[in-house]
Amino acid sequence: MSSQRVIDGRDMQPPEPLELTLAALDTLPPDGEIVLLLYCQPHPLYQILRRNGYAWTESMQADGTTEIHIRKA
Amino acid sequence: MHPNMSFEQAPPISVPYRFFLTAPLFGIAAGLLLALTGADALGSRWTGEALALTHLMVAGFMLQAMCGALLQFIPVAAGGNIWRPSLVAGVVHPALIVGVVLLVSGFLAVPGSAFVAGAGLIVAALSGYVAVVGFALFRAPVQSATIVALRVAVLALVVTYGLGFTLAQGLRGSYGVSLIEVTHVHAAWGLGGWSLLLLSGVSYYVVPMFQLTPPYPVWLGRLLPWGLLAVLLVWATQLLRPASEAYSWVLLAGLLLAGTFAAVTLRLQARRRRRVPDVTLTFFRGGMASLLAIVAAGIAVALAPTFAGSQRGALLIGMLALVGLFVSVITGMLYKIVPFLNWLHLQRLGGLTVLPPNMKQMIPERAMVGQMRLHFAALAALLVAVAWPPLTSVAGLLFAASCAWLEWNLLSGVRVYLDFRDRIRAADACHAP
Repeated sequence: MSSQRVIDGRDMQPPEPLELTLAALDTLPPDGEIVLLLYCQPHPLYQILRRNGYAWTESMQADGTTEIHIRKA
Repeated sequence: MHPNMSFEQAPPISVPYRFFLTAPLFGIAAGLLLALTGADALGSRWTGEALALTHLMVAGFMLQAMCGALLQFIPVAAGGNIWRPSLVAGVVHPALIVGVVLLVSGFLAVPGSAFVAGAGLIVAALSGYVAVVGFALFRAPVQSATIVALRVAVLALVVTYGLGFTLAQGLRGSYGVSLIEVTHVHAAWGLGGWSLLLLSGVSYYVVPMFQLTPPYPVWLGRLLPWGLLAVLLVWATQLLRPASEAYSWVLLAGLLLAGTFAAVTLRLQARRRRRVPDVTLTFFRGGMASLLAIVAAGIAVALAPTFAGSQRGALLIGMLALVGLFVSVITGMLYKIVPFLNWLHLQRLGGLTVLPPNMKQMIPERAMVGQMRLHFAALAALLVAVAWPPLTSVAGLLFAASCAWLEWNLLSGVRVYLDFRDRIRAADACHAP
C-alpha cells in the first residue's frame, strides 16, 4: 500500500512550503506520494522536481487551493 | 490576484543586489546632510539643501531600490524577459549613482554644467532602463493588475524624468519655464505616478504571498492605475493654463485614490491568516498609516488655503511621503526579498543534495527589529523637527544611523549567501570526477 504525506502550505510564508516539500522528498518511499496544498502555482518547485526526476499533477479546488500530487517518475 | 511565480528567467542575484545595497547609502548621505545643515535645510522646500535632500531620497534611495526590484520582479512575477539584465544593471546602476551625485552637488552649489550633466546622465540611464523594462512589461505573457500598474508606473517615470530635465535646464535659466508649476507636476508624477503605482503593483503580488492575506480586490487593481493616470493628466494641464481653485479638487481626487489603496491594504492585513509578528508587516503598516496621514494633511492643504501656503505643511507631507511611506515599505520589502532570493538562488545551486539555510537565518530577526525601531524613531524625530527646527540635526543623525543599520543588515544577508554558495561549490568540487 502506497504512503501519502500531506503538506498544507496555505498558511505558510514562502519558501516554507518548498522547504518542507524538499525535506519530504528526501524520505519519500518509491511508491509514496506527497500532496501539497497551496494558494498559488509553485513554479520554482516544478523546476526542481523536473530536474530531479519527479512527476506531479496539479488540480485547482473550488476555494482556490492548488492541490499538487508528487511522485517519483 | 493570487500570485504565481516563475524562476526560469530570473536574473543573476548580483543584478538586484547591487541596487539594493546602494539604496541605503543615499539614505545615509541624506541623513548626514540634514544633520550638517540643521534647521536651515527645513526653512523651505525650495532651499538648495531641501532639494538636495529630496533628490538624495527619491533619485538615490528610492530609485535605486525600485530599479533593482523591477529587474528582479518582472521576469519572476510576470514572466517578462529582460534583455541582458547584467549589462543593463552594469550600465544603469553606476550612471544613476554618478548622475544623482552631480545633481545633488548642483543643488548645494550654484547649478552649473555639472548639474545639467548629472540630470542628463540620469535621463540617459533611465531612458535605456525604461526601453528594456518597458519592452519586457508590454510583452509579458501574464496579464494581471500588477502588470497594468507597472506599465502605467513606467510611463509616469518617463514623464517624471522628462520634466526633471526641463527643470534642470530651467534652473540654469536655459528655458523660460514656470518652475513652480513644472515642479508641482514633476513631483506628482514621480510620487503619485511612478512610486505609488510601482508600490501598489508590487503589493498586489507580495502582500498576499508573504503576509498571507486575502487577495486584493479586482476593482482596486482596475481603479488605481487608470484613476491615478487620469488625475495626473488633469493635474498636468496647469502647465498650459493659469492655476485655479479647480486644481485643489484634482489633488483631492488623487489623495482619495491613494487613501483607498492604504485603507484596503490595512484591511487585508487585519484579515491575514497567520497572526505572527513580522517586521515586513509592521513596516508596511507604518507606511500605510503614513499614507493615510498624507491624505489627511493633503485634504487640509486642498481645503484650507492658509495651510496650503504653509511651508511647514508641505515639509510635513514630504517627510511622511519619503520616509514614512516609501522608505518604510521599501525597507520592509527588502527584508523579505533578500532572504527569499538568497534561498531560491542557493537552492538552485545546491539542488536536492545541499539544502540552503532557513529563511530566518539569512538576516537576524533581532537586527531587523532593532533597525525598524530606529527607523520609526527617526521618522518621529523628523516630523517633530518640522515643527521644532532645533531637533533637525538629531533627526538627521537618527535617520543616517537607521540607514547605516539597514545597509549592515542587508550585507549580513549577502554574506550568508556568499558563504553558503562557496560551501556548495566546495562540495561540488569534492564530488567532481
